Amino acid sequence: MFLTRSEYDRGVNTFSPEGRLFQVEYAIEAIKLGTTAIGIATLEGVILAVEKRVTSPLMEPATTEKIAEIDAHIGCACSGLMADSRTLVDRARVEAQNHWFLYNENMSVESVTQSVSNLAIQFGDSDSDGNAMSRPFGVAILFAGCDEDGPQLFYMDPSGTYVQCDAKAIGSGCEGAQQALQEAYSKSLSLTAALKVLLTILKQVMEEKLNSSNVEVAIITPAAGYRMLSKEEIENAIKEIPA
Amino acid sequence: MFKEMQSLANAQMTDASPHKVAGFYPYADNGGTLAAIAGDGFVVIGGDTRLTTGYQIYSREASKLTKLTDKTIIGSCGCWCDSLTFTKGLHIRLQYYLYENNKPISTNATAQLVSNMLYQKRFFPYYVSTIVAGLDADNQGAVYSYDPVGSTERHRYRAQGTAGSLIQPFLDCVLGRGNQTAPEPEKLTKEQAMIYLKDAFMSAAEREIGCGDFLQIMIVTPQGVEEERFKLRKD
Amino acid sequence: MSSALLPPFPEPGFSFENVERNVSLVKKGFKPPKFTSTGTTVAAAIFDGGIIIGTDKRASAGTIVANKNTNKIHKISNNIAFGGAGTAADCDQMEKMVRAHVELHRLNSGKQVPVCVALTKITQHLFRYQGHIQCALIVGGVDKFGYHLHHVYPHGSSSEVLFEAMGSGSLAAISHLELNYKQNMNLDEAKLLIRNAILAGVENDLASGNGIDLCIITPSGMEHLVDYEIPVAFV
Repeated sequence: MFLTRSEYDRGVNTFSPEGRLFQVEYAIEAIKLGTTAIGIATLEGVILAVEKRVTSPLMEPATTEKIAEIDAHIGCACSGLMADSRTLVDRARVEAQNHWFLYNENMSVESVTQSVSNLAIQFGDSDSDGNAMSRPFGVAILFAGCDEDGPQLFYMDPSGTYVQCDAKAIGSGCEGAQQALQEAYSKSLSLTAALKVLLTILKQVMEEKLNSSNVEVAIITPAAGYRMLSKEEIENAIKEIPA
Repeated sequence: MFKEMQSLANAQMTDASPHKVAGFYPYADNGGTLAAIAGDGFVVIGGDTRLTTGYQIYSREASKLTKLTDKTIIGSCGCWCDSLTFTKGLHIRLQYYLYENNKPISTNATAQLVSNMLYQKRFFPYYVSTIVAGLDADNQGAVYSYDPVGSTERHRYRAQGTAGSLIQPFLDCVLGRGNQTAPEPEKLTKEQAMIYLKDAFMSAAEREIGCGDFLQIMIVTPQGVEEERFKLRKD
Repeated sequence: MSSALLPPFPEPGFSFENVERNVSLVKKGFKPPKFTSTGTTVAAAIFDGGIIIGTDKRASAGTIVANKNTNKIHKISNNIAFGGAGTAADCDQMEKMVRAHVELHRLNSGKQVPVCVALTKITQHLFRYQGHIQCALIVGGVDKFGYHLHHVYPHGSSSEVLFEAMGSGSLAAISHLELNYKQNMNLDEAKLLIRNAILAGVENDLASGNGIDLCIITPSGMEHLVDYEIPVAFV
């Protein structure tokens, strides 16, 4: 891929003669090493599902949180460097609360995404205090929520670029998963059907066998807002999908 | 004894001092009266256009109402320079909201923002009486009133400013109807609300010297904002 | 001989028994009540047939119109009158006191009382009370010495003038008089001059308004024109 790899990949502020910022492209590549996360928006609500890599039986699966609540009506799923994602999720939460404080209304999903992308782009800033970022954040995030325009899904990559999607897969299994999503997706999908689609695709792209402790699922609906599925609910959902 | 002498000496020194200490008086009262009435599918807000200082008239044509969006109006009176600065600042904040959220701000969000902006200057306040009037998300009329430091409440009707204390009891009587035995009137129409506003301001102009010249009314409906003007006493 | 049902006659003159109490109340933060003030425009001029005095008709308590039909032209005798600005009660009491004094003087002397007698009584009374009696007057009259117009300040100073304006609207009125007054005006010119001077005060001074009264004193008598004009724009 990076045939013209050269001296130009040392800093985030130097374009290559071909007009590329290699560090940013590398960061985008880094996401593909992360676990798979999938989001799907339907008319009834949005679902986020992520794979959790439980690399050792001695590891406590509940301590890896790849899906986070931003506000009562918004959640997000991350893939990539989870330490970096904490910073971005914190910013999203602060912005959502600040918007409520200022305007006494829920922040829209796009505005939350925009505000986080404002932070993500700051890798290029210089600062005399030495507080400038040294590299882009190594995470991609799916923002899912329900605002006055209905259920919405946004995808943001490490460069700070964001785009709205009907369905999106990120992480190591993203290429296969995205292809499968394109085939399975339709606007009229019900929430339960969408959950089935998600788990089926996740099952296909995961190396380990899909079970209730190596997957996390959150559903955001206009009525109930953000809700994380319990272990039992995930188990029941897994039973529904073809083996 | 020594103490007494010292204070006497101090007093004399102060009296004889050639230095004058200039006072800092950042506030002025430029008067003005506002009133608003909300109904089903409309809200009307009125303000007189007289601008005063003491017993003098600065202007007979100073509008105290500002259209913020197609659904929201703000009325501001009190210290005129603070009114101008505050509404200007509010315009900037609303423009920012539009850019950041890709939609015009709602009346309810404006109401909260105004409260925050006023409270932000809690210890050097804008000396303004404020009313935000508009349609809410269900196209119901909404009237929010504020004190100078942002204490706010949503009402069906509200009067503020110099003649606020004259108009509020009138509105309480014809609209609030607390403890009244007479039968409830029919549902309030936009036309009836306009008549109440006009009557209120004409009566206020009779008895309050700071209220007069013209009554400017803005009418908000789902179709947009209309404006009307009526003459008041000029003396 | 006195009881709760039959209180003793009060001593003549002002009672000062509450002065100390009131001073200490104010020190403790008590807000004394507002007195009704005429907050007036008075204008007067000498014309070739006598003198003319004009006033507005508004009395106020703070910024509230206390009376929309106030008489501010005080008749002392059939050849002397004054237009009064200041605390309404002081002007009314001044009229009664001087009228009684002048009538006694007429009965004792058997002649028409000259203007200077009333003037002296007024200024001496005001001076004795060191400005606490808040009257600013234009005293006018016709006697065997001619036509006289005097202005009187609350501390008791006075001077004879050809034309004058007093009260809170005096700045607007005097500028009109300064510009348009000329000697040997006839009655119609004088009426228009004073009418316009009062109108200037009514328009520009918030404490003046509600209409115009005129009083014309000539050797043949006094004519009091109540509600000479209520300008249409103000109704």
